[in-house]
Amino acid sequence: MLSSVLLRGVGRSNAASLIKSVRLSPLKAYSTIVANTQRQALTKPIVLAKQVAPLAMRQISVSAPRMASASGNHTGLWTLERLVSVGLLAVIPAAFAAPSQVLDALLAISVVIHTHWGVEAMIVDYLRPGVVGNVLPKVAHIALIIISVATLGGLFYFIKNDIGLANGIKRFWAIKGKDSENKA
Amino acid sequence: MLVNEARQVLSRASSLAARHQLRAISNTTQLEQQAQPKAAQEPQIKKFEIYRWSPDNAGEKPHMQTYEVNMRECGPMVLDALIKIKNEIDPTLTFRRSCREGICGSCAMNIGGVNTLACISKIDATSSKPLKVYPLPHMYVVRDLVPDMNNFYEQYKNIQPWLQRKNEAVEQKGKAQYLQSVEDRSKLDGLYECILCACCSTACPSYWWNAEKYLGPAVLMQAYRWIIDSRDENSVERLSKLKDPFSVYRCHTIMNCTRTCPKGLNPGRAIAEIKKLLSGLASKPAPKMETAALHK
Repeated sequence: MLSSVLLRGVGRSNAASLIKSVRLSPLKAYSTIVANTQRQALTKPIVLAKQVAPLAMRQISVSAPRMASASGNHTGLWTLERLVSVGLLAVIPAAFAAPSQVLDALLAISVVIHTHWGVEAMIVDYLRPGVVGNVLPKVAHIALIIISVATLGGLFYFIKNDIGLANGIKRFWAIKGKDSENKA
Repeated sequence: MLVNEARQVLSRASSLAARHQLRAISNTTQLEQQAQPKAAQEPQIKKFEIYRWSPDNAGEKPHMQTYEVNMRECGPMVLDALIKIKNEIDPTLTFRRSCREGICGSCAMNIGGVNTLACISKIDATSSKPLKVYPLPHMYVVRDLVPDMNNFYEQYKNIQPWLQRKNEAVEQKGKAQYLQSVEDRSKLDGLYECILCACCSTACPSYWWNAEKYLGPAVLMQAYRWIIDSRDENSVERLSKLKDPFSVYRCHTIMNCTRTCPKGLNPGRAIAEIKKLLSGLASKPAPKMETAALHK
């Protein structure tokens, strides 16, 4: 019992030599290496570990890596995203059919938040910490929030102080400009 | 006839010698079968470009190696060609295979740009274009066409793919059957047929980008298979494990999974059903029959 406990402790402190022997003799079975290390450890304890220089090691893993699972509840947000997507089908035609400040505001909010979620998904998918580092994803996310808020603020300003969103788009697309002015 | 011969041989000689002889018999008969009817025809050469990488050659970069196979002496499927190459041209070529009839899922690989099973995808022998064969995309490669499936299996383990009952004290396992109506059973059709070949998961861009957090279509379809099973009582717990932003919600309904599935299943639909159940837009119906009636 005591010897096995000792042995286990020694085995652990000799992890570096274990990895070294793996690197030097890749064809050896893992069990052989363990057995050898333990045999070495039994005859030449502890001191052995300090002789091993920290060379560039090849990492071996004998157990499945523990993956970080995501936490939190995304269900409500997903449902809201679907509702906004469906709502856009009604809000966009309504805002153009009967332009008013309320419908313009609704259009601005729903389009901006819809786009925001879409771009957010792109940032999560393509700017992953494992690929681009820990900083860039956060910077991109904060930049996205700033852009979305600024866009929404700008659109609100346009709705409040100018001809409104739907009318603005209509005028932009009118061939000569007169047409939309006459109607509006 | 071959079986009889083999039995005689086995009974006569010692087992080692018998095994040698048996191998000799089966080899010659196979070769005869292949060679005889096609000997007269001129060879029809098909080129195969196969992804090669071996961990044994330190520092070697993955590369494509071209093999030429005479289609007159080869079976119709890509797996037949791979086996022929391994047997006759290059024994170092490494790939997984087992059932050669599309039921084990071992030989899943990327053939001509599509994830599918080598054993059930036919070679276009008439095309002069070489057929490109890669391992399943975006997986760690163990060697040549063999991908590392550990993460995939770990994820499958995570969804607890077995029947779970609340009242296991009363319902003694193996004592009696659980009842399920024909309608309830039919809900599992199109789900239980999955062979976990991982063609769909490795065709999914979301799984490429977030394989460590997003479960992927194959595993999610099996999650749904247990959630919707009328005999399973843990659907609420199962669903609550999938609520986070990654496990399910990284699915953007790209539908590559459904497009590529060699068994013709629809993982995309199963994921959509999970999303409906999670959002409360749908709920799991009560079992049509009293599941544990025979346990009373």
